Amino acid sequence: MSQTVIPRLAIKGLTKTFGGVRALDSADLTLLPGEVHGLLGTNGSGKSTLIKVLSGFHAPDEGTLEIDGRPVALPMPLGRSEAHGLAFVHQNLGLLPEATALENLIAGDHERLNSWRINWRAEAERARKLFAEHHLKLSPQQVVADLSPVQRAQLAIVRAADRVQEHRSHGVPGILVLDEPTPFLPQEDVRELFAMIRRLTARGVSIIFVSHDIDEVLEVTDRSTVLRDGKVIGTYETAATNRADLVEAIVGRAVAADRRVLALSPAAPIAEVRGLSGEILKDVALSVQPGEILGLTGLIGAGHDEVPMLIAGARAASAGQLSLNGRTYDLNQMAPADSIAAGIALIPADRQTAGIAPDLSLTENAVLPLLRGSLAINHRRNRRITADVMRKFSVKASSPDQPAAELSGGNQQKLVLGKWLQLEPRLVLLDEPTQGIDVGARQEIYDHLLALCAAGGAVICATSEFEQLEIIAHRVLVFDRGRIKAELKGADVTKAAIAKACYEVAEEHA
Amino acid sequence: MHKSDLSYQLERFGLVIVWLAFIALFGALRPDTFLTWSNFSTIFGSEAVLVIVTLGLMIPLTAGDFDLSIAQIVTLVSMTVAILDARMDLPLALVLPLGLALGALIGLINGAITLYFRVHSLIVTLGVGTFLHGITLWIGNSQTISGVSPILMEWVIIQRVLGVPIAFYYAIGLAILIWYMLSYTAFGQQLLFTGRGREVGRLTGVAVDRVRLVAFVLSGVLGAFAGILYTGTTGSANPSSGTFLLLPAFAAAFLGSTCIRPGRFNPWGSVIAVYFLVTGINGLSVLGFRTFVQDLFYGGALVLAVMISQLVSGRKDRGL
Repeated sequence: MSQTVIPRLAIKGLTKTFGGVRALDSADLTLLPGEVHGLLGTNGSGKSTLIKVLSGFHAPDEGTLEIDGRPVALPMPLGRSEAHGLAFVHQNLGLLPEATALENLIAGDHERLNSWRINWRAEAERARKLFAEHHLKLSPQQVVADLSPVQRAQLAIVRAADRVQEHRSHGVPGILVLDEPTPFLPQEDVRELFAMIRRLTARGVSIIFVSHDIDEVLEVTDRSTVLRDGKVIGTYETAATNRADLVEAIVGRAVAADRRVLALSPAAPIAEVRGLSGEILKDVALSVQPGEILGLTGLIGAGHDEVPMLIAGARAASAGQLSLNGRTYDLNQMAPADSIAAGIALIPADRQTAGIAPDLSLTENAVLPLLRGSLAINHRRNRRITADVMRKFSVKASSPDQPAAELSGGNQQKLVLGKWLQLEPRLVLLDEPTQGIDVGARQEIYDHLLALCAAGGAVICATSEFEQLEIIAHRVLVFDRGRIKAELKGADVTKAAIAKACYEVAEEHA
Repeated sequence: MHKSDLSYQLERFGLVIVWLAFIALFGALRPDTFLTWSNFSTIFGSEAVLVIVTLGLMIPLTAGDFDLSIAQIVTLVSMTVAILDARMDLPLALVLPLGLALGALIGLINGAITLYFRVHSLIVTLGVGTFLHGITLWIGNSQTISGVSPILMEWVIIQRVLGVPIAFYYAIGLAILIWYMLSYTAFGQQLLFTGRGREVGRLTGVAVDRVRLVAFVLSGVLGAFAGILYTGTTGSANPSSGTFLLLPAFAAAFLGSTCIRPGRFNPWGSVIAVYFLVTGINGLSVLGFRTFVQDLFYGGALVLAVMISQLVSGRKDRGL
């Protein structure tokens, strides 16, 4: 590569702190004309913070940005990135499923929509040309909900490319940021998407390709940058690197976390799941023994997070059986009330809508599972029970009558934990139990889970935070595309080993 | 502590204070006509129907659903009772249970359509209500049916306790029942979670669909009860009577949710809100304002009530 090339995008010294944590630590990134540049890293490595700085969602603490050699002031005002030739395609694609391809194509295109009359015939003609240009077999009148997943992804990419093409003042091809566009696409569709990406770069478009899938990165990119703990670990020429080097860079040699797993002697399982299938999961079997904390993990789209929901009957499984305490339950017919009766508790990931009712009081939230068919609720008793839960789980609040919305995230989660653990469940299922929760509350939650295990209960915890698993899990199952692909036990349960396993299991479908 | 705050108490009883201020104002202006026991006992008795409709409406509202058909349930049941009683001479002991069962059936239909087809209850009950009005006009031949058994009138409006028609006490009795249900039964809490934290409730084993269905049936039964009282109050059934109940009932339910238990639909708030609205209208008409004042007052109160309740809850976007 010659020295005189002006990079399309040059980020220097980008730093962003959230509450004392450095999400980005003087990160540099250079995007060359016509290249596909991979951006790799685990959860919390700073990938998404970097993207959000580019889109204007975050204001960086420090750092500069140049586009085509010209300095651009940061923070980027929201919505201004397009005028600089930058367009984003996020994982959810941002398409309106009920609308047609054409309506989606011009949605948010203010120049077109602000005219007095939308000339639909001309717009449809233009869309047809555009789709043909990008080898997208699509009629402008097709409704997005009827498109295949890959067609939707392609439509979103074409829309982004078109937008920056049309609106560039100085006539240079645009820059696209593709943020995890592939995890829910079948293998052959990914190839189709990559063909589109190459056609775009052949026309001079530069692309930042954010992905967790190293094989895809090796296949489609020219260079890649790896982030870890907010720092750029390195930028690699794809042709001169290999998967092992990239995994090494992503995972690093993490400092051992304070592992708090209690000793466990072999015992018969307390719960066994067989043949569990759901939206992503395919015929999964797993078991957990008394006193054990079983971690489930995987990269985005791996399906590990489906397990707690399906076992608890929060969503119907398409197939599967659960044996618990000598009884067998069909998981395609399980309702939440059945699983509660069976001694199962589910702590869902989405605290604000599934964990607590924010408008209602702490007492109302805490005692709901105790009410059953009561015809004479004793409010004084319920307040006492709640005060008890608040004390045991150190929920900091001024009174049991306070609305749950007024509590911090950590205290809300401790309340949810208390609500369920007061029922003395045999099996506790958790989905991302510490999302958005401070370190102190995390430790307290771990303490309660460990105490539950010491008393003979079992825990299944689905999370993408590897460090959390290193701290509390006896055993970790690594998922990929709906199946269990690896198992780590005992001393092998380390943040680095889990991360490595996650990236390695993804190798098989390369 | 939160509950003993003076400002909180002021919020709880704000509507009561405004109500008393209204009474004082109109009383000072027209002491001879407005501030008489006969005026008030008439208000208390004749508006029992509106109180019960408001209470009925409140139950699905608590569960997060609308029942726009309730006013037409009132009219249809009122008409059905009048026809069965006055035209067909069936005994009241048969007619009244039939009327209540009809209300329950309509509630069941509202709930079944809403829940099975997953259509918003606003649309379902709007359609069902209009459909019911059609049936009412049809079976009553678009006419007022009179000649209802005096026994019914006797037990609705003629019997008085402390000078107030007995219908008022039915309404208060129902308010007590609903207050108990909402405050002291598991079902009340399940209704609340169904409206305010549906996913939380579902994951905690609340059969949210069944709760919503029961809420529709209860509002249907209460609507039917109000329909029976309506027939008993006037001794006749009028095919357009219910049309003028829906908006006041909504206004009262939302206004009621700004007091006594601010932020929640609650029976005592609803009862107070009904009588506040009616007092206002009665007072203004005593002062000589004409009928348009009703619309101004009810419409204004509904909009004002939702504005206040949004201010109280910090202007969060919500379904209700």
